[in-house]
Amino acid sequence: MNGLRASFSIAAYSPLRHLSPWAAGLFTVAVLCAGHVPLTHCQELPAPGKHSGSPPITLHFVTWKADHPQAWDEAIQRFEQAYPHVRIKREIAPHSSTAYHDLLTQKLRNRDVSLDLFFMDVIWPAEFAAAGWALPLDDYFPHGEREKFLPATIASGVYRHHIYGVPSRIDSGMLYYRKDLLEKYEFSPPSTWNALVRQAQAILEGERTTHPLLRGYSGQFKQYEGLVCDMLEFVGSHNGSFLTEDGRRSNLTAPESMQAVRFVREQIIQRLATPAALTYQEPESLAVFIQGKAVFHRNWPYAWGLANDPRHSKIVGKVGVTTLPHFSGGKSTSALGGWLYGISAYSQHPDEAWAFIEFMTSPESQKYFAIHASLAPSRLALYADPEVLHANPQYKNLLPVFQTAQPRPRTPVYPIVSHILQRYFSRVLAFPKTDILEEAQEADRKINRFLSLIRDARE
Amino acid sequence: MTQSTRERTTGWLMVFPALTFVAVFSLYPAMDSFLLSLYSEFPGSERSFIGFGNYAELVRDPVAHQAFIVTLGFVLLSTTLELLLGTSIALVIHERFKGRGWTRAAVLIPWAIPTVVAAQMWRFLLNDQYGDVNAILFGDQVDAYVPWLADPWMAFGAIVLADVWKTSSFAGLLILAGLQVIPDETYDAARIDGATAWQRFWHITLPLLKPALLTALLFRTIDAFRVFDLVFVMTQGGPGDATQVIQFYGYKTLFTEGRVGYGTTISVTVFVALAILSLFYVRTVGSKLLQREAA
Repeated sequence: MNGLRASFSIAAYSPLRHLSPWAAGLFTVAVLCAGHVPLTHCQELPAPGKHSGSPPITLHFVTWKADHPQAWDEAIQRFEQAYPHVRIKREIAPHSSTAYHDLLTQKLRNRDVSLDLFFMDVIWPAEFAAAGWALPLDDYFPHGEREKFLPATIASGVYRHHIYGVPSRIDSGMLYYRKDLLEKYEFSPPSTWNALVRQAQAILEGERTTHPLLRGYSGQFKQYEGLVCDMLEFVGSHNGSFLTEDGRRSNLTAPESMQAVRFVREQIIQRLATPAALTYQEPESLAVFIQGKAVFHRNWPYAWGLANDPRHSKIVGKVGVTTLPHFSGGKSTSALGGWLYGISAYSQHPDEAWAFIEFMTSPESQKYFAIHASLAPSRLALYADPEVLHANPQYKNLLPVFQTAQPRPRTPVYPIVSHILQRYFSRVLAFPKTDILEEAQEADRKINRFLSLIRDARE
Repeated sequence: MTQSTRERTTGWLMVFPALTFVAVFSLYPAMDSFLLSLYSEFPGSERSFIGFGNYAELVRDPVAHQAFIVTLGFVLLSTTLELLLGTSIALVIHERFKGRGWTRAAVLIPWAIPTVVAAQMWRFLLNDQYGDVNAILFGDQVDAYVPWLADPWMAFGAIVLADVWKTSSFAGLLILAGLQVIPDETYDAARIDGATAWQRFWHITLPLLKPALLTALLFRTIDAFRVFDLVFVMTQGGPGDATQVIQFYGYKTLFTEGRVGYGTTISVTVFVALAILSLFYVRTVGSKLLQREAA
């Protein structure tokens, strides 16, 4: 997600500051355990003895600027203590997913041997695998181990029966709402989009004199990667889809898909959200919500912490979060996001790189990141962990969302498909008079052309 | 004979460094780009030679057409406004008045700010929640605030406005240089003949300013044609591709989509278009300058 990384940047705070002493102690214990747990894989590494005399191996890790830098510093430091012959050198790339992608793929296209480790947004593994940039991890990451992760996150790392990434966490779209306002008007959280519209309108009507600026809905509708996620949720919950089930053709002209798009144009953009949403990525849309100017808000899990942080939010304690609504006859659909660790195919130290990934995605490290960096774990077992749940009580209700999150199309030409989708949705939403069918047909033709090109190239 | 041969050898030797420099840093990349544009390549496919296939696709690509139209609109609108404003600025700071030095310096401030910073500033100014443009226009009437960049036409206007704000002073500077070479005697003679201020401007200033105006036009057109950063920061080409200029489209295809061949084709096309435009301008400006010298 393009704006996803950027969205964190408004959170220029660190929960470490409120860290209770027991939590700090917990981390120490966690990391100490982690240092001993991956014994099985230590065997794959050259024996430490051989390295005692030789200089340490330096792994180059292209990462983004972390929102909780202390947490990352700490975790990496612990790794280096557990593996004294390995050093991690971080290269900080841009926040935005698209900008990060552009920088990373340029290095990979140049077969940069000084690059060992990187993050992949969930939409990239197919592209990286097809281009031969990402190392297949099948031998390092056995099926038994994969089963301990949320299935959607594992699926996002698989391309043509090989796995290329290890999920560092999970992200998925969810509905935030104003608990106080819904209670005041005696509504329960809406399960359908039409109910959401009705409730929002009743609340706006009732609050008109006291809150003239209140909007019904705030989401991400700027022309960028996030728009694809938001639209996936509307289209998917109307039994529509971007591609046909076999993934070989575009499905945008299906009536279900187009009706959902029309709903967004007429009910969301032109009524509840106002056209201002056409300029919003995550941070702008969240700002509207936490200033108390929206009844409903669509965002990723990280928004929970900010909406309940008195330094940023005017609606602390008045926020509820639930699954996204669906259309009658459809089922709730939440876009899958998140980041996977990958190893460069040109890396000269894949074993050491794997040791790092294994360490960072271990239950102990993920638990630490869940508590101290608000990152939703990709390991299923942690959703039953009392300490994780204590720090993130909302996870309890959200686990079903995480388990059913819907991926965006998986294809090596995803960046091309995404641009076609962005243009289609943005044109239909920003020019209210455009013919949806015509625009959908144009997008259809282009997507089909690229999907067939890639098939021809492969088959 | 030997004399002239030696002279030629010395001549070649002396231009050799310059020629090498041009060959390595201009000619080679340009030729390499051209060669790349003859291949089809994107992630997951093998690179294959397709001749002028990418160019044929460019001619048929509706997104590219729209991007060209947006770019042309941007070039026409922004250069026209910049020349008009630039001339006004030049005429003002050409006059003698108290604090002229400071005014001249102040006028150049927008031009000195990096474009990315200026673009970010305009994005903030035009914000629908806290933007100063809304605050100035509507004050406390918060419900009247306009999301400027949400409307396709206004977003396009905003890009033009940001460019005009930023570079009018540069055009003004070039035109000021032109004003300063017009001899005062010409004006004195006209005044004695009874010409009004308007007549002096119309019949003396403007014709003699033509070379400077053409130079400013040349610089501004080429620069405007290459616009990228304003769009990248302010709108990302949206909404609905309404502000997607050709260079941004080229960037997206080349760097994000990884369509190396097609992206390069767009760059080469822009390069050729600019080369033709520059040649045309240089010949026109050049001949104007020659005419003046002959006169």
